[in-house]
Amino acid sequence: MSEQNIIEIKGVEKRFGSFVAVSDLNLTLKEGEFFSLLGPSGCGKTTALRIIAGFQDHEEGEIRINGRTMGEVPANKRPTNMVFQSYAIFPHLNVGDNVGFGLRKTKLSRNEIKERVAEALEMVELGGLQDRKANELSGGQRQRVALARALVMRPKVLLLDEPLSALDKNLREAMQLEMRRLQQKLGITFVMVTHDQYEAMTMSDRIGVMFAGQLKQVDRPEVLYSQPCNREVASFIGGMNFLDAEVTAENSESLEVNVQGFGQMTIGVNPNVQVHDKELLVGVRPEQLEISAEKPDGYDALVQGEVSDVAFYGESVHYYVRVDGLKDSIAVAVPNYFHTVDHSRGDTVWLGVQSASVIDLGKRESLGGEK
Amino acid sequence: MAGVLRSETGKGLALSAPATLYVGLLVAVPLCILVAYSFWTQTYVEIDRKLTWANYQEAFTDPLVRHLMIRSVAIAGAVTLATVCLAYPIAYFIAFRTQKKTLWLLLITIPFWSSYLLRVFSWKLILGFNGVLNSALISLGLIQEPLTFLLYNEFAVVLTLAHAWAPFAILPIYVSLQKIDRSLLEAATDLGCSKLERFVRVTLPLTVPGIIAACLIIFIPTVGDYVTPALVGGSQGKMVANLIQVQFGAANNWPLGATLSLLAMLSVGCVAIVFVVAVTALGRRIR
Repeated sequence: MSEQNIIEIKGVEKRFGSFVAVSDLNLTLKEGEFFSLLGPSGCGKTTALRIIAGFQDHEEGEIRINGRTMGEVPANKRPTNMVFQSYAIFPHLNVGDNVGFGLRKTKLSRNEIKERVAEALEMVELGGLQDRKANELSGGQRQRVALARALVMRPKVLLLDEPLSALDKNLREAMQLEMRRLQQKLGITFVMVTHDQYEAMTMSDRIGVMFAGQLKQVDRPEVLYSQPCNREVASFIGGMNFLDAEVTAENSESLEVNVQGFGQMTIGVNPNVQVHDKELLVGVRPEQLEISAEKPDGYDALVQGEVSDVAFYGESVHYYVRVDGLKDSIAVAVPNYFHTVDHSRGDTVWLGVQSASVIDLGKRESLGGEK
Repeated sequence: MAGVLRSETGKGLALSAPATLYVGLLVAVPLCILVAYSFWTQTYVEIDRKLTWANYQEAFTDPLVRHLMIRSVAIAGAVTLATVCLAYPIAYFIAFRTQKKTLWLLLITIPFWSSYLLRVFSWKLILGFNGVLNSALISLGLIQEPLTFLLYNEFAVVLTLAHAWAPFAILPIYVSLQKIDRSLLEAATDLGCSKLERFVRVTLPLTVPGIIAACLIIFIPTVGDYVTPALVGGSQGKMVANLIQVQFGAANNWPLGATLSLLAMLSVGCVAIVFVVAVTALGRRIR
């Protein structure tokens, strides 16, 4: 990744009638970066991608790609290429002609096109399949053809609209790694739209989390996970237990808080949170909690509760613990080291937490539709 | 018996039996009679059932038959070309440019609410010597004398048939356009195509089946049409079907009529096959 800016988006807004699909979008992407736009369906992420591609006009704001303003540049003249969610493989053409479709527009000779197509197919591990008909391809092969067809154009930016959502789980995981490897090898900027948090986290250098047309937070995956800017982002990336807390004292680096159920502790100020309130919301990741039948030693805060549900996930076991005075039960994830399920429904257990694991999430917002 | 009826094959046979019987009685049997007649001869009211090639010899040597056959194919070809070329933009408009698809499709079928014969007659009223068009042009002062080239010629036949068959061309082309995944068009744009290139390289090849269907639906019946040429064709607009009609009527020569019918069918079949093969091959060449 270089320090060169490849995409600069300033104040872009898109409305459909009175519905604001994308509001005040500001984003700068570096050359060679793998960037993901993550959010629930209908949050405007696909619209944002289509605005970059030029398939969608926008009311306000400006987009620059590779230093050039894209305002008047139509989609077919932009230095971007797209991998469509449906893959959009031309059904009347074979694999070779699909991949070479865009090159026929260029000044390249037939032989040069042939070479570039063969090279691109080799790259996506479909070497020699030029003559295969479009309807004879499997889902994974269609995905690779779509990728080769876009990459053969050597775009400045590759746009991917939910590229893996149509594949089954194993294939999807293999393709995640492969696409990441390909992106690093080619050094092309990838902008991917996805609603799958794991896909976004495993593949991206940075992730932008979108809700209701607004880009809420842009950060590296590990920062999004450890310092989400608010409740929405925290709930969309990984699991999270939300707890109400009262701020009793504060300075620029830490907060003295009284966490519901767990009691008094000192936690670090989350730099991504914009507004702090005396009525604070804090979060604890399920895997950061200790669960045990005996009262454990060495934790900053302890609470006792009763196991209300057990869910076995294979690589981990999730326990849901009811604590007196708390509205929601607390989820605890225990790695399945010893192939045992230690607690069962109705057991009384102790929960332990270190104050460093308690995340400051700023003010308590009432979120429509969420409990 | 009950076991046979319960099996899948039995059910299929039972379900298709009425249709098979219907088609067998009303198409296959008459066709066989037609073939038989073409090898017989007729003197006045007597049918001579001795098999002979005489009718075929007559059909192949008579210049009138050849002339009318070529004219029929040419007129039907012109009708097909004109109809499909005019229908494509309309189908395109309905498929891509309007939200009120149902309304437009309904509007297109309106001509069917009146009979075919009436529609041909109304063209006669429009194109005639004292017809709507001539009266209008005279009252506007654009012409002094009524135009006579409007009616009773090939032009009138092509115009009337093209109008009558337009919906049959619009519908299959519309269906094939409607079926195109919109992301294919965006992909073509994304890969650098202008709107025109996108049409030639993606939309057109993907609608080839619809175009072929439209062409066949129009070409095959119009070659054999006799109402329109009889009413608006005059003497230079007569087609092979009019000659066949005469054989079964005034000329009272059923065997020759049967022979001409079969030859017309064969030539239409040949033209249609050549056409389908050629267009399909052409569609494949577009990359």
